[in-house]
Order: sequence, then structure tokens, then C-alpha cells
Amino acid sequence: MRIRLLGIVVTAAILVGGFAFWRSPAAPGGGAVAISVGGAQHRGGQIVTSGRAGPRTFNRLLGQDQLSSVLSMLTMGRLLRVNFSTFEVEPWLAEKWDASPDALTYTFHLRPGLTWSDGVPFTADDVVFSLQAIFDPKTHSYLADVLTVGGKPITADAPDASTVVIHFPAASGPGLRLLDSLWVMPKHKLEAALKGGTFAQAWNTDTPPSELAAMGPFVIREYVPNQRIVLDRNPRYWRKAADSTQLPYLDRIVYEIIPDQDAELLRLQSGDIDLTQSELRPDDYVPAKRAEDQGRLKVQEVGVSPKADAFWFNLKPEAWKNDPRFAFVRRREFRQAISYAVDREKFAENVYLGAAVPIWGPITPGNPLWFWPDVPRYFHDVNKAKETLKGIGLEDRNGNGVAEDAQGHEARFTVVTQRGVGWYERGLAELRSQLAPVGIAIEPAGLENATLNQRLVKSDYEAMYQRFGTTDLDPASELDMWLSSGEGHFWHFGDTKPEAWEAQIDALMKENVATVDQARRKQTFNEVQRIFAENLPVLYFATPRMYYAYNVRVEGVKPSVLRPVALWNADMLSVRSGAP
Amino acid sequence: MPRRAAPYTTQHVVHFLFRRLAFALLLVIAVSSSALLLTRLAPGDLTTELGARARPEDVARARERFDLNRSPLSQLGGWAVRAARFDFGDSFLYDRPVGGLIRRAAGNTAVLAVAALAVATLLGIPLGIVTGSRRGALAAAIRGVSLVCLSIPPLLTSLLLVFVASRTGWLPAGGMTSVTAIDAGWSAWMLDVARHLPLPALALALPLAATFERLQSQAMTETIHQPFIVAALARGVTWRTLLIDHAWRASLRSMCAIYGLAIGALLSGSFVVEYVTAWPGLGRLMYEALRARDIYLVAGCAAMGGVFLAFGSVVADLLLFAADPRVREGQTT
Repeated sequence: MRIRLLGIVVTAAILVGGFAFWRSPAAPGGGAVAISVGGAQHRGGQIVTSGRAGPRTFNRLLGQDQLSSVLSMLTMGRLLRVNFSTFEVEPWLAEKWDASPDALTYTFHLRPGLTWSDGVPFTADDVVFSLQAIFDPKTHSYLADVLTVGGKPITADAPDASTVVIHFPAASGPGLRLLDSLWVMPKHKLEAALKGGTFAQAWNTDTPPSELAAMGPFVIREYVPNQRIVLDRNPRYWRKAADSTQLPYLDRIVYEIIPDQDAELLRLQSGDIDLTQSELRPDDYVPAKRAEDQGRLKVQEVGVSPKADAFWFNLKPEAWKNDPRFAFVRRREFRQAISYAVDREKFAENVYLGAAVPIWGPITPGNPLWFWPDVPRYFHDVNKAKETLKGIGLEDRNGNGVAEDAQGHEARFTVVTQRGVGWYERGLAELRSQLAPVGIAIEPAGLENATLNQRLVKSDYEAMYQRFGTTDLDPASELDMWLSSGEGHFWHFGDTKPEAWEAQIDALMKENVATVDQARRKQTFNEVQRIFAENLPVLYFATPRMYYAYNVRVEGVKPSVLRPVALWNADMLSVRSGAP
Repeated sequence: MPRRAAPYTTQHVVHFLFRRLAFALLLVIAVSSSALLLTRLAPGDLTTELGARARPEDVARARERFDLNRSPLSQLGGWAVRAARFDFGDSFLYDRPVGGLIRRAAGNTAVLAVAALAVATLLGIPLGIVTGSRRGALAAAIRGVSLVCLSIPPLLTSLLLVFVASRTGWLPAGGMTSVTAIDAGWSAWMLDVARHLPLPALALALPLAATFERLQSQAMTETIHQPFIVAALARGVTWRTLLIDHAWRASLRSMCAIYGLAIGALLSGSFVVEYVTAWPGLGRLMYEALRARDIYLVAGCAAMGGVFLAFGSVVADLLLFAADPRVREGQTT
């Protein structure tokens, strides 16, 4: 009897589920009505975007992850911004500024009538407060490093409510671009936390959305952990379109958390989501293009990626202990031989399925501001590679196909990379096959990301193949990588005794970031690239062409080579008139 | 030789439940402690989430906050003392207490698990009765489909179902609720969840249904050859009545025993299914916690997994209790 009763209950549940199942699926953005305002773009509607993970904090002075960057662009404001399309600095909350002759003091004039989303006026005090919060030792903000020039913090004062004076303690190469990172926080909401020493805990993901006052085009309405963030239009947003339409165009942006990238692509193809936070992976181009042919997606070439996969040997002597192979690994000729041995055209073809361009250094053609086309190159030449190896005593003496030194130590290495990333695995397979003819044997080993990072930090590896992201195109943003004492000097962590060429780069980079003259900066950075390419502590072979796919109903998308690819100009996005 | 014990009393039931609860507590402690220690001893720690280029002071602060400067045993001891007060520590990934995260995720996984179990039972048991009691093309076809369902890994099933859903639009391709349900009331929200449920539930249920079918089939085959079935046939009992009222009931004992394991299997299977279908449950939470070495979240998820397993075990015992008169009468063999 009980079993029969259970059967009836389960059957009823299935019928209810079945009814729901057969209801026609809702189109993305359904429920919102697009209203024509007679302009090129239309007010109203919503889009659904997606990302891999949820936020760790809503406090922009603390969050360093990609989602923090997205949420900042959606909800926060700054005095000026770097336009991700032109890469130029443009006025934002400040409508104009004056520079002192020595470029150490900038006077910013705020736009009139600015207000936070809760109606409280935005004033110069908010900017001063934000800098105080960033440099408060209890905040532990990573932005303190970004906004430190010559070892001293950038400071600000507010002569009146609509004027901010920013003082640079020393000449700065990137100059105003640094202020692109100065996200302004609301003093009226967070002053008590700063005074109480709890700023680092303020605006965590438990904070009620009503407390998160915004200056950006959207305000956070709801966060459901592991599911989604819902952002509604900020009715007090300051910006208007050229035709005087109040921005943003959209009423709502929904950020869905989809951990699996394959599932995300399928949902993009089905119209379940409108746009993602990243460019297409090489393997995803064909299915996305097919969806474009069917009229569901638009696939746009963004340009050459400013990031590239890097291959390097661990150049920290302590890591090799008494391993005799370090005697030739540390020779630049060894690394130059590898560079000669690799056919970069073939590498681009096989690893990125043809959608890539050969490169010879970390600065790719995707960085138009700093790319140097005359960087020393090593064109594919197997014989020259063999001769170069022979020049440092490496040749195949026993006929087993692997070069060895006079003592019989073979040029055989384990190269670690992140497991499960298709192009990393293809890249190492390609390197393995291209280096074999010159007698260098590499054994690829895929590691889980946490293990890989730990091995990197502890210098516990022989060679590695990985890609590091970039947040800005200016080399000053990568100073920790260029300087031998930097925390991002990944091929030789904890360097205390730089090689002569590293010392040269140190001096040039220090000059570069302290020079206001942009022509001189370009000159010094070209020199840095030359020294780097001659010594090859890291080898680069190809960088992918970036393609971005989004739903055809979305308008105003200007994909950038920097992330967030599309949401950097979220206030200009709209949905097509008549689109569901 | 069967030994007859005294029939069960309330005291027996209370004693039985007490033993089961004690076992569950031990299981939860063992599973969560092991998870914490294994996560601590595995290569890498949660500070690797800060990136290879993290500032040393940020790394040091994270290590201090999450007790990574203490020895593994000292860390385990400190955590156990706090856990006894239901303070499971903070999550590094979510920067909030583990308890709240787990409660929400476990609720979502429970919904998914119940649905998957129901589907697996409704599919697997009847089909097992069919294949265990008759021969022919239909039985062979069912057996073949079962083998396929058992062989395909859940990752593939999930991706396949997401693919079908995204292509046909018949079902939402992932998530637990739609964007359209954001402003909806409770009834609309529940209907929305019901629309999202079939995809992950099917991905979880198909291999389980195949397991049930295989086990039920084997149990039926064995049962219908028992002397009491032959005797019932001789008495003129119809084949249908014989199958359902006699043979199936008699074969239930082995099926009930597998239910406890099935609930555990649902949890482990939900790792990949929840990940691919973006179902915000315990499996996905634990996967992300493991990937990031979010040590207290891993331990908390493992503790909740232990609760699921213990619950499954109790359910299996109770089902056996209800289905097998010998158990009710305290008779063992």
C-alpha cells in the first residue's frame, strides 16, 4: 500500500515536471520590452552574460580577479579611464584636468551634478577617501603597489567639492594611466569601516546589495552564490549618448556562473546566454562560426592577442642543485638553439589551428603601443640550431637521437604545464616533435593548476609552458616581471644576483617608468626587448588571433584584446529592436 | 540453521537508531578529518589561487588566516574543536562562513538526488523485473541499453544532454533557475526549478537506473527459480500476481541494500554533473573547493557528504526493515 502511495506521489511529481518541461523555453532576456527611442540603439531589455566563478568580494580595492574587474566596470567609477578600444586615456567622472609643468600635480574638475546610486552627491572627498583607504595598512589593498611612484604613495586633496588635486611624488612614465586603477569608493558608506579598521572586511559578498552604492551604469540587485549576479540599471548614472539618450541602454545585466567552458559555449550557441567574458578558444571557432552561419551568433575578429604562451627553463641555480645539465641550460646559446629549431609558422598552424601569428618576444603585435617589429628574430634553421648546440659542447655522441655534453649528460627535460588545456598540450607536443631533430628531448607533464603554481613559486621544475595574463598594455604594469628583484620574475624567482643583461634591463625599466617623455620610454623599452630577445630567458613562438562570439541581438559590442572583452563599455550595449 | 530471536520491540528500534546515529557521527568525523588532512598534505595550497605573482605579504596573511602555518594535526585539532560548536571555518574562495554555503548547496543537491533516485527507481526496477522474468528481443534490448548507460561516464552523459538541450530548446541547458524567474513568485520559481531539474537528474539517474535494472534482473532471475514460486505456480497463481506480489517482494532484499550505496553514488556522480550543468549543489562546491585547496570548505563538504552517506545507509536499513518480514521479526540467517 505504502509503495503504491509512493508510486502515485512520484507519478504526480513527474507529471508536474513534465508540464513544466513542455512549456516553451523562455528566450534570453524574455520579459523585457525593447523600446524604440528613434536613435541608432534602443533603451530597455536585458542581456545574459557568464563567467567561470562567483565573486570573492564586492570591495574593488581588494578584489584582483577578473570578475572584480568586470563588476568594477559595471558598478564603479574613476576620474578617467583607459579606453579599451583606442587604449587612450579619456575623461570619466572628471570632465577635464590641468597638469603642472613638471607633470607631478594634476587638478581634476569633476562633472557637475554627479550622484551615487543612493542619491548622495559625489564629491572630491570621495576620491581623497579612496586613496586613504587604499594606503591604509589595514586594508592590504593591492592597489597600493599600483599607485605608488618612486616608493611613495600618490596623494590627493580636495580644495572644494568639485575639484581634486592629485600629487605624484615623482615623475611617472605611465602617469595618468595609473589613475585608471583608482576606483572611487563612497565615503558616506565606508568611512566608519575605515576608521574602525574593518575596511578589509567591508563590502563582502554577504553585504546587502542596497549598501553597495554605485557610480557605474549598473547597481547590484542580487547575488545568488554559485548561480548568478543580477545588475539593474543605475537610474542616477551620469552618462548620456550622443543623441542625449540616458545611458545605459540596458535595463539589466545578468551574470550567470557557469563553471564549465564547454557547457558555456553550448549555452551561447543556444541563445541561453548573450556574451561571455573571454575570447573563443581555438577549438571553439568552428562551432561558433557554424552558429553564425545559422544567424544565431556574430563572430568578430578582435585582433592579435597581447598575451602569448611562454616556454622557459628554470634559471634559478639553486633549483638545479648539482644537476650538471644546468651548465648548458644557463647558456643563452642553448635557448637560442631552441629558438632556431622551432618553425613558428608550423607551430601556429598546429597549435592554434592556423589562427595565430609568429612572435619572437613577450610583446606581441596585439600591443600596438609597445610592439617593436625590429626585435631580434631566429628564423627556422635546424642546421644552425645544431651548430649552436655544438658550439656549447652538445651533440648526439652515442647516436640515440639526444644531444649530450662531453660527460654524457643528455639534453632531456620534463616540461610541466596545466593539464586539460588543449593548446598547452598541443603546444608541448609540437615542441617535442620540433626539438627532437636537433637532439633536445622534452617530456610533457600535465599538472593540475594548484600544483603547477606551487611548483612555479617554489622553483620546483625544470621547464614550464604557461601563459600569464596582462591587465594593461603599458610595460610599467608588468614591472614585477621585468625587474630581477620583482615578484613576477618567474624564470628566476628570488633573484639577488642578476646577470649582467638582467641588470641592464633593471636599469632601463627603472628609467622607463620614471620618464614622462613617451618617445624616450619607447626607446628604452625597445632596448629592453632587444636584450630580452638576445638572452631568451623565456621563449615565445606564436600568439593567437582573438575571435569573440556574441548573440546577434546584442548591439554596441566593441570587443577588446583586454579583458573584460565586451563589458568594458557596458553602458553602450543594447539589444536589437524587436529582439526577444 | 536459522536462529529465531525475539520479535522486534520499540526498544529494539531505538537501539537500532542509536547505533546508526553513532555510526553516522563516526563516519562524518572520519570523512571530514581525512578530507582536511588530505587537502593539507596534497601539493599546493589555497594561496596558489592568489597567482604565481602574488605579493608575499598577501600569501603570508592568507596562510595565517587559514592556519596553514600550524602543523596538519594541530590544524585538524583546532578545526575539530570549532566544528563541534558548528563553526566550520571560513571559505577562502567565497570569503564567508562554510556553514551557510554548505547548507544551501546541500539543499540543492538533495533536490537533485531525490529526483534522480526517483527516476532511476521508476525506470530501473520495472525494467529489471521485465528482463529478469522473461527472455526475448525486448529483454535483450533493455539489457543492451543498460550496458550502454553503465559504460558512458557521467561527464559525457552531461555534455550530451546539455548539447541536446541547447540544440532543441526543449529543456534549459543548465543552471537551477532561469533569468525570467528572478522577479517571479514562489510557485513560478518552483515550476522553473522543475524545468531545470530533468537534465541533471537524467544525467545522474541513467547510470543508476541501469545499475538498478541489472540488480533487479539478477534478483528476479534467482527468485523465480525458488521452490515457493514453483509451488505458487502449481497452486494456480497467475504469472502477473506471482511476479509482483511474490517474486518481486522476495527479491527486494538485495535491492534495498543497494539504496544506501546508491545515495553515496549520487553524491559522487553529482561532482561532474553539477559542474557541467551548472547546478549549484554540493558536488560542484566540493569540486571547486578541491581545485582551489579551499581546505575548510573541502572538510565541510566532506562532512556533509558523510551525512548523505549515513542517511542513505539508514534509509536502506529502514527499507529493508519494511520490505523483509524476517528483519521485522528479528530473524537472521
